[in-house]
Amino acid sequence: MTSSLLLQKDVLIADLRRKLAEAEETMRAIRENEVDALVMRGPLADEIFTIGGEQESYRTFMEVMEPGAAALDGAGRVLYANSTLTRLLGRSLAELQGKPLAESLNGNAGTEIARLLRDASDTARTREIHLSRKGEAELHFIAVAAPLQLGTTSGHAVTFTDVTERVLNESAEQSEHAARAVIASANEAVLVCDRNGIITHANAAAGIAYDGNPIGKVFAEIIPLVFRDSTGVLQADDMIAMVIGGTPLRGIEATAPKAPRVKDYLVSAAPLRIAGDRISGAVVTMVDLSQRKAAEKQQNLLMRELDHRVKNTLALVVSISARTASNTDTVEAFQKAFSGRIQALAATHTLLLDNAWSSLELQDIVMSEVAPYVEAAADQVTIEGLNVAVTPRAAIAFGLVVHELTTNAVKYGALSQPGGRVTVRAIGRDSGNDGAFVLEWRESGGPQVAPPDRKGFGHAVIARSLQYSPGGGAEFDFDPSGVVCRISIPPEDLN
Amino acid sequence: MTPVKSPRKLILYVAGQTPKSLAAIANLERICAEELPGQYTVEVIDLRKDPKLARQHGIVAIPTLVRELPIPLRKLIGDLSDTGKVLVNLKITDGA
Repeated sequence: MTSSLLLQKDVLIADLRRKLAEAEETMRAIRENEVDALVMRGPLADEIFTIGGEQESYRTFMEVMEPGAAALDGAGRVLYANSTLTRLLGRSLAELQGKPLAESLNGNAGTEIARLLRDASDTARTREIHLSRKGEAELHFIAVAAPLQLGTTSGHAVTFTDVTERVLNESAEQSEHAARAVIASANEAVLVCDRNGIITHANAAAGIAYDGNPIGKVFAEIIPLVFRDSTGVLQADDMIAMVIGGTPLRGIEATAPKAPRVKDYLVSAAPLRIAGDRISGAVVTMVDLSQRKAAEKQQNLLMRELDHRVKNTLALVVSISARTASNTDTVEAFQKAFSGRIQALAATHTLLLDNAWSSLELQDIVMSEVAPYVEAAADQVTIEGLNVAVTPRAAIAFGLVVHELTTNAVKYGALSQPGGRVTVRAIGRDSGNDGAFVLEWRESGGPQVAPPDRKGFGHAVIARSLQYSPGGGAEFDFDPSGVVCRISIPPEDLN
Repeated sequence: MTPVKSPRKLILYVAGQTPKSLAAIANLERICAEELPGQYTVEVIDLRKDPKLARQHGIVAIPTLVRELPIPLRKLIGDLSDTGKVLVNLKITDGA
């Protein structure tokens, strides 16, 4: 054999060895499931055969499935994804194929899918997944992974069922419950209107503004509002329209003429935004202003009353001054008599102030007037049955009368000497004088009494003070054993 | 000075989008990028589109990776998931 023949033989053997090794490697690869397609030599041309059947069948099946679906290999790479899933993920099939599905999902969703595949090595597993896409609302899925054998490949089938709507509905339902609870807990009347001004929600407190079930009724029709200072231009329907237009109204005083219980309100209204920027209605709150209004009215009344009283008092002071001057001979006498009478007036005023100018009892007035002149009033002055309340008008007049009687008694009568006594007691209602309340001032134990030569201002005060009404007045009886004065309090001034 | 060598070519034969084909493409891309940067360019030939191209390298099983140069020609059958095995066949030593 020539050396050239030997070389050819070596080359041939080496080539055969390489081919044998290649054939063995191919057999090993097929046996060990490392290939899933073979090239077959056909009569006309080579053909490709897929081991484990054609893929078209399972792909067609996946396409008709309603949920998003993907077939993954053992490493979690996408072999195929149906069009529902590519649409949900916003990726093309080419972008997804061959890449791990977990990497194609944003944020937590990728981690969740990786966990799901790990858990589903033997059996199907389920996990809830949230998917956020740029500029769009979050999507919610129920992902199910189950082991899958595709030809020679072991992997997973994964489906994604979109439950976004259900989750949103549940969330909306919870929000609705919360909103209802908030509205129900509010002390103020709260009414919610839709864009047409029709009431959709109202709390129990709304009963002060409308007697009945307001749901489904037009707000402006069942609760017409008259806004102060708006000269009738703004009405309830305009208010709702303004709010739905995006302008909130805060704290406007309004009257609700048709409201069953409370008429005066502080009304606020705000646009209702349930989702996004769209205004879906208006929330109206109505705060009861009746107590505040009543307080304002009381204040105005008191201001007018005070003005009236100050004028009356000043007129009375001028009158007392003039009459005292005409009945006194010296400046000292004038000063004493005048200041005594002004103090009597002040004492009654003090009592009235303590009782907030409401009413006083006659016994308190007597005590107040007598106290400055008698050290131990209880010993010399007795009061019986005078726990009778009278108006401020009668209190002031009666106070002046008692003051004059007391000063007379101190100067000339029972209180001018030890052992003298004064009894002030109720006689009762006078049937002949419109039911006036009659009481008696009776002195005893003092010097003998004789009628006075001239009637001073004190006498005039006593006789006239209560004559502002036909039922009122006072009469003297100069009994030698002691002065007796019968005083009538006009019936309309008894409380 | 080390001469700049032009990248050598690897040919990966696949059959459409069978699971092993997709896995082989993904594995090869990863290995080239992570372990052999700049050393190879990869051509993927889909035999489903043109089956006669299989004859050029006598391809029987798919997927198969072929390294033509440096000689000897090497074939790696399978989805290339065994990185160590791939590297043994593709590592270019100084002498290669």
